[in-house]
Amino acid sequence: MTMQSATEISPDMPEFETETLRVSGLSLARGGIELVRGFSLDLAPGDAVLMSGPNGTGKTTLLRALAGFIRPDAGEIRFGELPPGEVAADCLGWLGHADGLKPNETPRAALRFWADLTGQSRKAILPLMRAMAVESLIDRPAARLSRGQQRRTALVRVALANRPIWLLDEPAGPLDGGGRARLASLVAWHRARGGSVIAATHQRLDWPDARRIDLGAHR
Amino acid sequence: MSALRAIFMREARLAWAGGGGAAGPTAFFLAAITLAPLAIGPAADLLSAVGPGIMGFAALLSVLQSADRLFGDDHGDGTAELYLLSGVSPAWLVLAKVTGQALATLWPLPVIGCLGAMMYGVPVQPALMGALALLAAIPALSLIAGFAGALAAGIRRSGLLIALIATPMMVPVLIFAAGAGRSAFEGDERALANLLLTAAVSLGTIALAPFGIAAAIRSRLG
Repeated sequence: MTMQSATEISPDMPEFETETLRVSGLSLARGGIELVRGFSLDLAPGDAVLMSGPNGTGKTTLLRALAGFIRPDAGEIRFGELPPGEVAADCLGWLGHADGLKPNETPRAALRFWADLTGQSRKAILPLMRAMAVESLIDRPAARLSRGQQRRTALVRVALANRPIWLLDEPAGPLDGGGRARLASLVAWHRARGGSVIAATHQRLDWPDARRIDLGAHR
Repeated sequence: MSALRAIFMREARLAWAGGGGAAGPTAFFLAAITLAPLAIGPAADLLSAVGPGIMGFAALLSVLQSADRLFGDDHGDGTAELYLLSGVSPAWLVLAKVTGQALATLWPLPVIGCLGAMMYGVPVQPALMGALALLAAIPALSLIAGFAGALAAGIRRSGLLIALIATPMMVPVLIFAAGAGRSAFEGDERALANLLLTAAVSLGTIALAPFGIAAAIRSRLG
């Protein structure tokens, strides 16, 4: 990272294997309504894609299909050579609508758990929390964090998993201006390491040379 | 393996700290076995005859009582998605989760079952046999409750669906577990057979239910 960036992010994490994503001719329907038709995308290491579009155009559905939770009606999703599912599980950092926090659990306990579960070192927790400016909240139960603080903690969890492709659903939703800047530098750090990001968002996020896709145009 | 231990420890910790640990099932169990004699009547020989059966039945209900939270919470707060993307085999993951949860919340059931049976006038030997059968039944009961809870995750008023799904599936384990205590009380030799059959149902459930739970979680996310 350069010194000009808003935050210095330098957790001690092993390098991950970069991964490409190729989507071709993807069609998705929810509840009998076709949301996405003929969607194609190539994601190389270091890429960032910002998906926008009015409510109900299928941003979340598309992210969930990429993660393997929804089976597409047509088209193909390939991580490297392989379809989503068990293989994709090793290369995806996921931030859904919900933050994945338990109300009575402190970020310290939660993040230690996720580090253990994904086989990562616990040493990266504090530097990443500092990067999102939530390190002082580490021992406060998640129920007593604000929505923005919960989102920041969830973003720490995404980074902590140390996986090449991040799928983020409204990552900046409840974040303030400072939070968005920190999110931007977290994403920049991730891309500099060879990672890539796809984010669905309603906000204008200033991520340098991120591709913008309007899903409203894919119907 | 360390991933499974992490899940086990977390679920036990969350159940212990957040959910009041064993308090819920224990209170339910105690309430049921305290109220039953008031309905049945004070006849001592009648109470001691139904004691082993009531213990098995009340234990089953107290396991069902918290079934909606086991996977319903994970579904609601986004943890289920993260579990599926964790890279850990889902069947092993849910087995570790249910085991952690069951150990933290259901450990008093055999103890209460034994003491409760003795309070009903059941002699020590059959009361212990009944408690042993309850212990052997807990894996089956909690995994079946977990399966029903996973199928109903995210549905409003999931309790109704859970009761409808889980109750028929719990029939064999209830028959064998309560039967072990009853046979021991009546002094016939089928007590051990019933105990072993209870353990067999539990082992079968341990082998099969995790796959069903994992599939249920995945389908509820689709």
